[in-house]
Amino acid sequence: MEAAKVGVFIADCGGQISKVLDIEAITNFVKNIDGVAFVARNSEFWRGQGLQIIVEAVKNKKINRVVVAESIPKISELAITKAVEEAGLNPYLVEVLDLKNHCAWPHRDAPLEATEKAKALLLAAIEKAKLLEPIEKAEFPAVKSVLVIGGGIAGMQAAEDLAEMDFQVYLVEREPFLGGLAAMAGHFFPTDDCAVCIQSPDLKTISRTSRKCVYRSGFSEIPNLNILTNSRVVKLEGAPGNYKVTVERKPRYVNEKKCVACDLCASVCPVEVPDEYNAKLKTRKAIYINKPLIYPPVYVIDEEACKFHDCARCVEVCPAKAIELDQKPEKVTLNVGSIIVATGFKEYDPSVIKEYHYGEYPDVITHLELARMLDAFGPTNGVIIKPSDKKPAKRIVFIQCVGSRDRRWNPYCSSICCMISLKHAIMIKSAYPDADVTICYIDMRTAGRGYEKYYERARELGVKFVKGRPSEIVHDPSANTLIVEVEDELLRRLLELEADLVVLATAMVPSEDSKELAGILGLELDEDGFFKEYNAKLRPTETKRRGIFICGGATFPKDVPTTSIHSHSAALKAAKFLLHGRIVKDLKVAFVNEEYCSNCQICPVTCPYGAITLVPKENGHFVARVSALICEGCGICVGTCPVGAIELTHLRQNQIQTQIRALLSINGTSNPLILAISCSECGHTAVDSSGMSMMRYPANVRVLKVPCAGMVQVQHILEALKAGAQGVMIVGCKPDGCHYEVGSGKAQKKVEMAKMLLKAYGIEPERLEMFHLIYVEGDRFAEAARIMTENLKKLGPLRL
Amino acid sequence: MAAQERTSSDFTVEIKQTLGGESITRCYQCGTCASSCPVAKMTDRYNPREVIRLALLGQRENVLGSDTIWLCASCYQCQERCPQEVEIADVIYALRNIAIREGKVPKIYAEFAATLTRDGRLVSMSKFLEKKRIEYGLPPLKPTGVEAIRKILSATGFDKLPISGMKGEST
Repeated sequence: MEAAKVGVFIADCGGQISKVLDIEAITNFVKNIDGVAFVARNSEFWRGQGLQIIVEAVKNKKINRVVVAESIPKISELAITKAVEEAGLNPYLVEVLDLKNHCAWPHRDAPLEATEKAKALLLAAIEKAKLLEPIEKAEFPAVKSVLVIGGGIAGMQAAEDLAEMDFQVYLVEREPFLGGLAAMAGHFFPTDDCAVCIQSPDLKTISRTSRKCVYRSGFSEIPNLNILTNSRVVKLEGAPGNYKVTVERKPRYVNEKKCVACDLCASVCPVEVPDEYNAKLKTRKAIYINKPLIYPPVYVIDEEACKFHDCARCVEVCPAKAIELDQKPEKVTLNVGSIIVATGFKEYDPSVIKEYHYGEYPDVITHLELARMLDAFGPTNGVIIKPSDKKPAKRIVFIQCVGSRDRRWNPYCSSICCMISLKHAIMIKSAYPDADVTICYIDMRTAGRGYEKYYERARELGVKFVKGRPSEIVHDPSANTLIVEVEDELLRRLLELEADLVVLATAMVPSEDSKELAGILGLELDEDGFFKEYNAKLRPTETKRRGIFICGGATFPKDVPTTSIHSHSAALKAAKFLLHGRIVKDLKVAFVNEEYCSNCQICPVTCPYGAITLVPKENGHFVARVSALICEGCGICVGTCPVGAIELTHLRQNQIQTQIRALLSINGTSNPLILAISCSECGHTAVDSSGMSMMRYPANVRVLKVPCAGMVQVQHILEALKAGAQGVMIVGCKPDGCHYEVGSGKAQKKVEMAKMLLKAYGIEPERLEMFHLIYVEGDRFAEAARIMTENLKKLGPLRL
Repeated sequence: MAAQERTSSDFTVEIKQTLGGESITRCYQCGTCASSCPVAKMTDRYNPREVIRLALLGQRENVLGSDTIWLCASCYQCQERCPQEVEIADVIYALRNIAIREGKVPKIYAEFAATLTRDGRLVSMSKFLEKKRIEYGLPPLKPTGVEAIRKILSATGFDKLPISGMKGEST
């Protein structure tokens, strides 16, 4: 490679730098550094005429490395690298530092000291620049095809969005019919219409006001949309953009292309089993369809209930010859670029709460069971009955927060149960004004547009509200009545509410297959078992696995409006990911020196993104290998590897070492030198913001930037002390706000370990401290720098 | 409750630092305890939810000064059913311990303490009771190891508690 010819560009920021620093002395110092081929000064270098000076120097081949002292963090860096790239130089041969916010402003009271620090900062940047290597781009395939797992309201909406954007979509549903939990709910808040109502697809031909039932919407006829019911994902291979997904399809035993849904088969079927779709309030046959029709309009045989060839009456009567008892399970392999998980949630089984006797007293039901009763097409045709004796129920008590907001079962608020109970109470009081309806609550939560109106409407209709969580439901067999024991807290009086029917607003919990699916897809679940998002604030539908997205109730219980927003978001993210049919990425990644890799197997576990796998070598040995596609370039693996076998292309070990030495080679102050190793995320922005808001801290503090605090090795700390630092600060994000998930926490542990090591070497452990800061805490960085300096002064010089 | 009494979180901190009182701040006033409580069913004077509410509002005198906290029968039903795992019966014990530290002990408990120190039993034996035992065919009671019990009371610091009548004074 050509010898490094470094161009150094020092911006004065309209006099802000020269007001404090002796720019003349700094320029002369820089000119004499070995390898510096060109030095220029201007008011600014990141745009206009200043930027042109850099571009010219690159174009004329005067220089092949660019060092710029600018003062607008990040923006200037982006603008300069872009221009340099356009001028024909690899953008990774550029190093930008900030002489204003990291030197002139915070040290404006000590211009001489600041000038010496500026020399050290420039020397470090120049020495690093000499070692910089070009980083190329890589291209990966992205199949324009998406797998959506879960055919409920969330999955259907995401699938529709993507299919209409011309992606091939596979919608996989575990059950024989689409619709999920929503299809059972009957009515929805806040629109008070059918739960199976969706936006009609194909906006090109149908007006935007058109909404239809799932089965009348033409959903199944959307081009590019492939619906696989009775199916589940069993295996995932490949990489983001190019996955191979194995889907297992259970036999339906009814040919989808032949069945005419005439119901003759069900009419002759001798087997009756409880109907889950109708909350087991009714029975169905072994061959059945969910009514009213959802999708597909095809019967299915329940293989656990059917007697197959021992009976086969349905085969005889079927006029379409659609029944095929010999169908076998089949495996389908799908090639998709991206995956959306929309597996929803389910009702919690409240029988664990013994005091409420669910499952024991038939007249204690859940809100989904009530929803089925309230559905005109449901098991009771819309009449509310006591399941025990089928008589009409007139006195109905709702109990809120059953199994949720309960540390013994599910500590979280399930968020939609208050609204569901209000909706049901209003429906009951509207249909039966003489019904006696009581809602026992701890707190009524009606956050959402128009939701408070439900609360108001329920009160208008005469629904009674009792603030108090019932302690027990007692059954009085003589009158076949339930008695709900509760304290009316507002009256401070114990009540015994007589009820024909008690409805438990039971918690909403993750779907049963969540854990298994998370294992197959390599996704993380939160402590409650819901799929965990990448970042709750900014990336609510992304996961740590690039190319896999989540939406709807799979992430947390949600109402339908929120689920819609979530689904569209996930669809958009998937579309954005695959839009160009290829993924182009700078190879700012980790790589393994296989000669050194000792097969300790720590890095695959450490990597928060699952980018590292072990690949077999000869003699049964394995070596770690980094997927350039998945790697985020954080360097946590570098900080973890016990033998130093992993490096980052964008920050090599020799670049770190040379910066440490250069930063500490000039002191210029009477204070003890401190090396602050900061992450380039929150840590470095805190340093930036302390300068930008003109906080003061002493010039003996020198900042070295690394991608993540998790990259720091104990060796870096020791090298700093050897090179003249009297103390080392590690500055990272908050442990639970680390941009690379685990890096800051790992750094904290490493610092604690290094402190013990220092002690063993006879070095005061107080010479090393870790700080967790965010952007708005620039004042805390300045304060930490001051305190650290004072503490080191008290300790006296370091003796090695 | 005295309307003019100012609320303060100092009392909550004090309770949380007392053995058994740690979980008090988890309470969200659902009332499961109150409607589970067999004592509350019998009398208006005791309501565990209200005791915790007053304590969390810093109504120190109100909680420690009345006999309410001494009415708990320690059946632990409330604790079993509390959805926030507030150890309610243990919180009540914590409150009692704070009350005792300050000498706020109902007469009957002071009498128990005095009898225990004097005789080694909670209830003193009368001639009448001894006669009844014989009638019921029960053997006469053996003398208690009162010296040993006093040693225990001394080692645990029980005898230092500011309970009137415990140090041989007449109750």
